Amino acid sequence: MDCSCQRDFEFGRNSHATLTTVSAPRAVCAKAFRGCPVKVSSSDMHPVSEYVTAANRRSVLRSGVIGCGAAALSSLMHCDAATAESSSRAEFPQFTPKAKRVIHLCQSGAPSQLDLFDWKPGLRNRRGMELPKSVIQGQRFTGMTKDQASFPVAPTTFEFRQHGNSGAWMSELLPYTARVADELCFVKTLHTDAINHDPAITFIQTGSSLAGRPCMGSWLSYGLGSMNEDLPAFVAMTSGRSGQPLYDRLWGSGFLPTEYSAVKFRRTGDPVLYLSNPPGISADLRRKMLNDLSRLNEIQLQQQGDPEIAARMTQYEMAARMQASVPDLVDISDEPQHILDLYGPDCRTPGTYASNCLLARRLAERGVRFVQLYHRGWDHHAKLPSTIPDLCAQTDQPTSALIQDLCARGMLDDTLVIWGGEFGRTVYCQGTLTETDFGRDHHPRCFTIWMAGGGVNRGTTYGETDDFSYNIARDGVEVHDLNATVMRLLGIDHTKLTYQYQGRHHRLTDVHGNVVEQLTG
Amino acid sequence: MNDSPLQCVHQNRSVAFTLIAGFAFFADAAVAKSVDFDRDIRPILSDNCFQCHGPDQEQREADMRLDRKASAFTSADGNARIVPGKPDESELFRRITGAVPEVQMPPPDSGRSLTTRQIELIGEWITQGAEWKEHWSFVPPVRPDVPKVGDKTWSRNAVDAFVLSRLKREGLRPSAEADRPTMIRRVTLDLTGLPPTPEDVDAFLADESEKAWERVIDRLLKSSAYGERMAVRWLDLARYADTSGYQNDGARDMWRWRDWVINAYNDNMPFDQFTIRQLAGDMLQIVPEPGRIGHGSLDLDAVTLNHWIASGFNRNHRGNSEGGVDPEEYQVEYVVDRVDTTATVWLGLSIGCARCHDHKYDPISQTEFYQLFACFNNIPENGRALKQGNSPPYIKAPTRSQRKRLKKLNREIAALRQQWNQSQPALNEAQSVWEASLLPDESTHWSLSDGLRVHLKLDGDLENAVADATPRESETTASSVAEATPAPTFIDGRVGKAVQLNGENFVTVGDVGAFDYMDGVTYSAWVRAESDGTILARKKPEKDGQGYSIGVQDGHVHVNLINRWLDDCIRLSTVGSLPFSQWHHVAVTYDGTRQAAGVTVYIDGQAQAVNVHFDFINQTFASMEPLRIGSGITDLQGAVDDVRIFARSLPAKDVGIIATSESLEELANLPQSDRTVFQQDLLQSCFLETAAPEPLRKLHARLSVMEQQKVELVETVPTVMVMYEGEPRATRRLNRGRFDQPAEEVAVGIPEILMSDATSGASDRLEVARWLVSPNHPLTARVAVNRYWQMFFGEGLVSSMEDFGSQGSRPSHPQLLDWLATEFMRVDWNVKYMHKTIAMSSAYRQSSMASEFLLQRDSDNELLARGPRFRLAAEVVRDQALAASGLLHDKVGGPSVKIYQPDGLWSEIASDTVYETATGKDLYRRSLYTYWKRTVGPPSMMTFDASTREMCTVRRARTNTPLQALALMNDVTYVEASRALAQRMIQEGGSTVDDRFARGFRLVLGRQPNYEESRIAQAAVARYAKEFENNPEAAQQLISIGESAVKNDTNAEELATWTAVASVILNLDETVTRR
Repeated sequence: MDCSCQRDFEFGRNSHATLTTVSAPRAVCAKAFRGCPVKVSSSDMHPVSEYVTAANRRSVLRSGVIGCGAAALSSLMHCDAATAESSSRAEFPQFTPKAKRVIHLCQSGAPSQLDLFDWKPGLRNRRGMELPKSVIQGQRFTGMTKDQASFPVAPTTFEFRQHGNSGAWMSELLPYTARVADELCFVKTLHTDAINHDPAITFIQTGSSLAGRPCMGSWLSYGLGSMNEDLPAFVAMTSGRSGQPLYDRLWGSGFLPTEYSAVKFRRTGDPVLYLSNPPGISADLRRKMLNDLSRLNEIQLQQQGDPEIAARMTQYEMAARMQASVPDLVDISDEPQHILDLYGPDCRTPGTYASNCLLARRLAERGVRFVQLYHRGWDHHAKLPSTIPDLCAQTDQPTSALIQDLCARGMLDDTLVIWGGEFGRTVYCQGTLTETDFGRDHHPRCFTIWMAGGGVNRGTTYGETDDFSYNIARDGVEVHDLNATVMRLLGIDHTKLTYQYQGRHHRLTDVHGNVVEQLTG
Repeated sequence: MNDSPLQCVHQNRSVAFTLIAGFAFFADAAVAKSVDFDRDIRPILSDNCFQCHGPDQEQREADMRLDRKASAFTSADGNARIVPGKPDESELFRRITGAVPEVQMPPPDSGRSLTTRQIELIGEWITQGAEWKEHWSFVPPVRPDVPKVGDKTWSRNAVDAFVLSRLKREGLRPSAEADRPTMIRRVTLDLTGLPPTPEDVDAFLADESEKAWERVIDRLLKSSAYGERMAVRWLDLARYADTSGYQNDGARDMWRWRDWVINAYNDNMPFDQFTIRQLAGDMLQIVPEPGRIGHGSLDLDAVTLNHWIASGFNRNHRGNSEGGVDPEEYQVEYVVDRVDTTATVWLGLSIGCARCHDHKYDPISQTEFYQLFACFNNIPENGRALKQGNSPPYIKAPTRSQRKRLKKLNREIAALRQQWNQSQPALNEAQSVWEASLLPDESTHWSLSDGLRVHLKLDGDLENAVADATPRESETTASSVAEATPAPTFIDGRVGKAVQLNGENFVTVGDVGAFDYMDGVTYSAWVRAESDGTILARKKPEKDGQGYSIGVQDGHVHVNLINRWLDDCIRLSTVGSLPFSQWHHVAVTYDGTRQAAGVTVYIDGQAQAVNVHFDFINQTFASMEPLRIGSGITDLQGAVDDVRIFARSLPAKDVGIIATSESLEELANLPQSDRTVFQQDLLQSCFLETAAPEPLRKLHARLSVMEQQKVELVETVPTVMVMYEGEPRATRRLNRGRFDQPAEEVAVGIPEILMSDATSGASDRLEVARWLVSPNHPLTARVAVNRYWQMFFGEGLVSSMEDFGSQGSRPSHPQLLDWLATEFMRVDWNVKYMHKTIAMSSAYRQSSMASEFLLQRDSDNELLARGPRFRLAAEVVRDQALAASGLLHDKVGGPSVKIYQPDGLWSEIASDTVYETATGKDLYRRSLYTYWKRTVGPPSMMTFDASTREMCTVRRARTNTPLQALALMNDVTYVEASRALAQRMIQEGGSTVDDRFARGFRLVLGRQPNYEESRIAQAAVARYAKEFENNPEAAQQLISIGESAVKNDTNAEELATWTAVASVILNLDETVTRR
């Protein structure tokens, strides 16, 4: 193991002694979460006859998945490729994965690379000067600034410093993230096609700016299946009170069957929709009702011989298990004080980014394959200098804590953490540039994201932008390249995980994508 | 191929021969029957070769296409590629066998390869003569002979003959007929989406005639629930929803179109008409230009109106209103969506691939894509959609009852008008008498007060003369706290005193005059300007800050309505100037239509020509800043008098009246010929309101009331987005499909492969629509009947329902499909007839019980040796629970309703979106009336695989997940339905546990429980009863869930016990399955 957690983090130091005793992730087994017949183990359940289970495999394949591309299903059910019709038959993962799971920290609204990571000291002298046409190169603007009379350069108002052995430049706004600088693999030259939020965030999640495609988490659930039997394979969580709206499609399964959508963990009410029994139905009564339900279904199963009945019985048992496992998951009372301190005071408040980061670790620990966090509010068209510090304050410490926590538990090596927004922001000022104030418009041409753990090349920076952080000077990375690289880290050749829909073999990277070898360790 | 060195061929001939010889040996054993090119060969070529040797011109290698006979057989310079009967002489075969390793096909680096079996098949095909066939679905269906099957007892109609003949071929026999309760539940759910009532079941069981089944089907086809069930499927195809689908995902109103669909099904509109009207209903008659508020449609006849509403089909796509979008980019996306959707729904082809390049698999070129694009491209639309409400073009679409009321009002108003005109002489006479009575030494000022919210007389103080104006919803109610620093000077004004501002002081009026971008409003003031400056404003102080302002700039009157400067604002200025140092009346009206054309600037009552600088307001311009006089952008030097703000957009005549400052007495003393029109209007308005003889006053009041009623009625008339042929727009092929890379111009046309002898082409949208339903069209009827088949059998005869192209699946019963398609056309596209034909068949009536043998032999039931069974659709799961429990409110049509959903679901991921759950009966409407927000779908529907409606969806997945279990167990919808069902079980079931349980079973499942089931129920009831007896509070809690009332005399523990039992019934696999 190459985990850097042996090095002390200032915030993680106290935790080491206890963290080493944390038990290994529970219930790690290669069983798909939904739609798959897992043999019922509860003593209350009636045994399901063998032939039914066998027939059920086919039935599940038929009803849910076209073909047998789903390795989750094939590995679980010893799927015979001959019975499936799809040409997508490769086993996934195809090669030894470096990452087993992903935690994607989506910073919705597009954080400014110029004020956080992409240090351009030369801009100080150009403050207020018109952005040269030779830099703009005729690239399109959004409708918000295209009629603007001038495009004055707005250098950041924040101080930058180098951090760690890698010497990564980071702004003073991210003191906690700076402490894990050597874990991070920065990509300074990600670029995207879309220039507005909805299409751009849809593009980065699904590989298409239009609705209807599965998101990355759905592709991975479909391809790799689940690693646990009590929880979904794919969980999404949101935080932030205002900012750009989010959409179910960002964690939706598109044309893949619905079972590959994320289960959204909510911040109010039941963490999972309809999880709690209604008032008046005790856990005990629920168990009795489930038993009676099972008895009645069993009669039909015997009579009808329809494997779907057995499958549904199984789902009810899984639902019952979730009723126990999810509250246990979101109950952080078993977290020691130093962990709570690590994530910061917000982590006790459900629905905050800090709380979601802590839950992300708990989910990862329990074998959830893909956890996606969305934090809203990074859309700083105006008043950037006075508002971006709030967003950083909300996210910086928990982000850093998550890295340290995973590392201390020995989980960072096989957990890929991705941090980033949907595009970057312009070097020119949107609106009026004053001594203390400016705004930045959307900028798709280049922006910074970072990854950590999961086999990425830590402590490195890839790609270089020009002096204005406006164009790519060296080593551009397309969104499809990034997605291809993430899939590679998970042991998947992105061109091979496909699904036939409307006469085409679709894949996350469409017809694009090149793995960026330099990003992987 | 031509370039392959001959020498090389010779060297390797022996290898090829070996393979061919080996193949021939194998062929005897396995490929004895004839190889069908379309069935056996084309799929292999499509999958492995078309990428480089297919329709896509750009990707095509060696100028060879294997999707076209000529090119496949012979190269351009005459070399034979396929020699019928001689595989070894066929270059194609030699290449795939590896006879020429240097040019092996597919190339080893392509990632594609042929299996031995595939190579053998191709070889055999060539050996058998290499007969070429066009892809089956591009050849018009020919009515096949109905097979003669001996079994007259089973085979009831042609459907059965085809099914049975196939079964016989496979050595299988059909299953027995399902039992009657199962049959009636099946067909009732399929045709209406509701369960049969126990009475329906009893009637069917009692009906021993041969016609019993037909009677059931006829009854169902006649019920309005039929149209509702059919509509749901169509709404998925049409990507119908109640919101716009991008970013903030604001509301829109398309329910008039949705109701049109329901009615069309219930009226059994022939499918060709159904098609033409939805694609080009607006072009069937001459329709007026819809305009921004769409009033032009109010007086249309019902037929024309309905045709136009139908055209809303292709406005159901999403609309992007995000700040900063490039309108051109999204205008292109909308047209692409129309092409994709239309092609998917009617052609069963995914021609969207051809947006960027020639289709890789089907013979649709990129140019042909843009030929279809062209017919949807003339809609006068803005790619940047409105955030709230419908985006133009849209029309007012009155409902039947609204049309009736409107007609009645029009008649009454016309009659009153006539009366009014007749009474003019009397009016003039009476007015003259009144005018003469006005005393010349008095000075009475009168003006309009209807809608007046702010009136600053500025006669020495800053008070608002309107004391108790009832504010409208969007106004804040705080009273006016007016002040000015330093204290203003009052001078003689236009009416009494006026306030004199010196450019350093201004008047802060306070929290009045708050209006928003969808309100009608009028601002007016007398102004004597000495400089440029703001007359009145409510806006943030910085230049171009959010808010509204009216002022003088460079001598012209400027109006600003600003949310965000540059891309979300209206700015306009008068062409003429406002002379300095003179009193002039300035008025601005805005009608709330969110466009510059809705703003009129008046100087001295005269509407001014304006220059529009910015014209797109999409969000609020309301501001927290107070109303200010003389400040906003720049401070005004000059005098301001008599500021008025009305909460309505005044018509020109009324603006003339408020621009008249003389007193009544002054005006009365002017000879009539010397009076201006405005002065005359003012006198008459005042006379009518205050002094006219009672009959005249009453008549006038009545007319005003009726006109107001009409205005109010028109305001409540829903709008619907429609198609409309505006100015023709040049369509250009877009390189790589990118909106900013236009290439050559393209005219409307249809893909060559789909041209039949009967059609010569199409030059507009209407002709394209007519072509789709023309006789001999190869696809439309097949695609439609395939969807019908899927309704009844769970899967289509072509299982890739969305793809009839070369990558799609082949029909399981090709002849049956073609018989249904030709039959559909023969009966003039009679939809109910087709549904009845399928439902009447013995194939449909079979038991769905699957023997172990059949499960092994045909797990997918492709051969139809048994009845179909599948999980109910999301809507049906809920509707069934509502119907069985008696909660269902079966009102047809109307605006969508917000059913139960967990709190905070919307606001968690999007600010400013509050879900207001419906109340009363609206909570229990059928699920197709559920408010559908695309970015956050109704959660329990989505759990059961409903479509997000973001795009055209042909087929929904049918998954089986624990989240579904949680929803059925715990969603308030199902808990409340359990309680209501329990109430029925107790009340209608009788006194014994068995009878009550049986009642529940019959209400939900249509059948009696068997002995074993009853025994389980007995034990369950005892257990649950004990639980609630021990915990009466829990019982009370459980039965209090849901909005519907619990009957007073209810025994809480008993009801809770049965609620738990009912919940178990609603959770049964059998309940959510139709079998």
